[in-house]
Amino acid sequence: MYYINIRKEDWHSSLERLLLSYDIFVPVKNEFSLDYEPFRLYEAENISYNTPKPSTPLKNFFLPVRENVTSSRESDKPRIIIGAPNCDIEALRLLDEIYLDKTFTDPFYRNRRTSTVLISSDCFSTNDHCHCLSYGVKPYSIENADLAIAVENDDIFLRVISERGKELAAQFTPQQPVESSHRVSFIEQNHHSVEASLADKNKGLPDYQATGQIVQKAGNDIWVKYASKCVSCGACTTICPTCSCFLLIDKPDFEKVKQMDACQYPGFERVAGGEDALFELPHRFKNRYMCKYVWKPQKFTATACTGCGRCIEACIGKINKNELFMELT
Amino acid sequence: MEVTDFKQIKFFEKYTGEQLQKIASVSSVKEFKVKEIIFEQYDELTEIYVLLQGSLSLGISLPKDKRIHLGTIEEGQLFSWSAIFPPYISTAWVMAVTPAKVIAIDARKLNAEIEQDCDFGFKTMSKIAQTISHRLSDTRFQLMNQLNV
Amino acid sequence: MADTTNIYKPLKARLEEVIEESPLIKTFVLIPEREFVFGTGQFIELSVDGVGEAPFTPSSSPHVHDRLEVTVMKTGYVTNIMHQLKPGVMMGIRGPYGRGYPVSNFEGREVLILGGGCGLAPIRSLLFALEHMKDDLEKVILCYGSKTPTDCIYKPLFSRLNSIDKFEAYRTVDMSEEGWDGPVGVATTLLGRVKVKIENSVAVVCGPPIMMKFGTIRLLEMGYRDDQIYLSMEKNMSCGLGKCGHCMMGEFFVCKDGPVFTYKEIKHNPEIWK
Repeated sequence: MYYINIRKEDWHSSLERLLLSYDIFVPVKNEFSLDYEPFRLYEAENISYNTPKPSTPLKNFFLPVRENVTSSRESDKPRIIIGAPNCDIEALRLLDEIYLDKTFTDPFYRNRRTSTVLISSDCFSTNDHCHCLSYGVKPYSIENADLAIAVENDDIFLRVISERGKELAAQFTPQQPVESSHRVSFIEQNHHSVEASLADKNKGLPDYQATGQIVQKAGNDIWVKYASKCVSCGACTTICPTCSCFLLIDKPDFEKVKQMDACQYPGFERVAGGEDALFELPHRFKNRYMCKYVWKPQKFTATACTGCGRCIEACIGKINKNELFMELT
Repeated sequence: MEVTDFKQIKFFEKYTGEQLQKIASVSSVKEFKVKEIIFEQYDELTEIYVLLQGSLSLGISLPKDKRIHLGTIEEGQLFSWSAIFPPYISTAWVMAVTPAKVIAIDARKLNAEIEQDCDFGFKTMSKIAQTISHRLSDTRFQLMNQLNV
Repeated sequence: MADTTNIYKPLKARLEEVIEESPLIKTFVLIPEREFVFGTGQFIELSVDGVGEAPFTPSSSPHVHDRLEVTVMKTGYVTNIMHQLKPGVMMGIRGPYGRGYPVSNFEGREVLILGGGCGLAPIRSLLFALEHMKDDLEKVILCYGSKTPTDCIYKPLFSRLNSIDKFEAYRTVDMSEEGWDGPVGVATTLLGRVKVKIENSVAVVCGPPIMMKFGTIRLLEMGYRDDQIYLSMEKNMSCGLGKCGHCMMGEFFVCKDGPVFTYKEIKHNPEIWK
């Protein structure tokens, strides 16, 4: 792992040149929040670096809401995604375990993964509900992404992480190697202050394993209490970077459309005979936590919750899972 | 029947030789032909039976001589337990489906022995309780199937 | 396998024949476009063009590769439409998926099969597989219960089984009908007739959840260990690939880790009989 340095204007012109071969997405502040937009040179000044985090989770780039999975398609155009926070990068590890599983590899997911370069953005601040560190996820990437970006004034610093990242990094010219660690000391400083802020804000929040234990042992009352404001809108599952359950819908000529689904929608587990194991709302509500904190860890090595906090921000009933966990401890 | 014959039957496996002697002294072996009724619903029962060979059907009666077949008694199973408990009235009819052979035990004399010999009483009541428990469980299962639960 | 490059794409199969087994149950005979190989107890996702798909365990022999029999009960939206199909239409098959019956583990043993209702469909396939290897088996016993005599599917199966060396088949019904003089009572009542050496035996249970629950309890009472009892769990299997999440039962994907489980593997889960 090493750093390279590019002047901002050279960075912009390199990106413009790369547009010939890649679709490029950058994080831009809009009137509501931060989200990805296609890179356009004339709007380059609006790109927001090192601020958490785009509303759209990274999963949407690899698992679209709807796609036809039977008709043949042209191969995916290569992409560069800039600005993914590490919580989203880590979330991809679970999705990789599910969709790149050797017995049944999803060819569409695989093609998108191999044709996308991920430039993660270190978080130099936090949002209200960020708690990645509590689950062992750092607010910056040192693995799983291809490159990571940190910006100081008009200087862009790229942390080169993977081979693919190295190949892309070579295309940003002119660039200077970073020899002195003093030049990137601001990055370390920001890491420390963000980690301190996260630790302070989330004091007392149980870690991932501990959360699994308390969720498993919890009685029914807590689920009834917190589910009382739930309307099964599915916002939490839609916005979650690790949730990826889907439906396969049949179309004429044996075509199939894969469409995102959610365990929070009633009828998710309904069988033809009419039985529905998740019919009761508190049980359906509890099921998602059991899945994320108890069952997925038994089957997969990657974590099923990276502490991004989007579910808390998105919930229209203002249900806060961390309050629930704190109450259980 | 001899005590050694009783020992071959799984139902009697926990009894001592002396206890089996007592049962043998108040039992006899009876045979029934196909479609022969062993007892009717609401009959007063004086004997408790263990099916040795064959197959029996059990059911309830409806008006106009209609019989509803609700269950089957298998070899080795006890039936007519109502003979042990007041008011000693049968809750169902039992009919032979195939030629059948049963051990018929005098219920009054068996009851007297149960009251006198605690160990014997415990073993006998346990066997009867187990039979009724299984039959209840099977019947509930049958009911749930009918209710499409 | 349906398609080695695209896991979502079905293999086409022509519906050759429709056999009426009972008022609500039909067996579909399918001729796939390509040879189709499956293990007994594995399932397929059978689709009606443009309508939908549903999971089924083939009821035919796993040693026959050019045709497939699938028994379909009319229960929901897709199966209702399936029941209206006529021979000649093309259907789609994805699969085979899941973990089937580990018949190689049954070698040298006595196999006791307890079935109810539509569970006889996967059991029929298992019986074909066991017949194929009967020289390596000690005994095979089938205890099967249907609601009424009319509801019993594959009626010729029982007399055929009783004529095969080492095979025994018993039938019972929950409710008797005119003309029925066989046993009456639930399938578990047949277990009283069965003579097995439990230490050298395996038990396979397949049927509606209630039957699986009562059957398992009775088998444990008889002395079977929880790793000797094989259950075929039904859940809302959808993608069949261990990805879409619909069939999750606790930590297991029924479509991938099952549908065949030993009772030992799943007994800790309070949801299994739902």
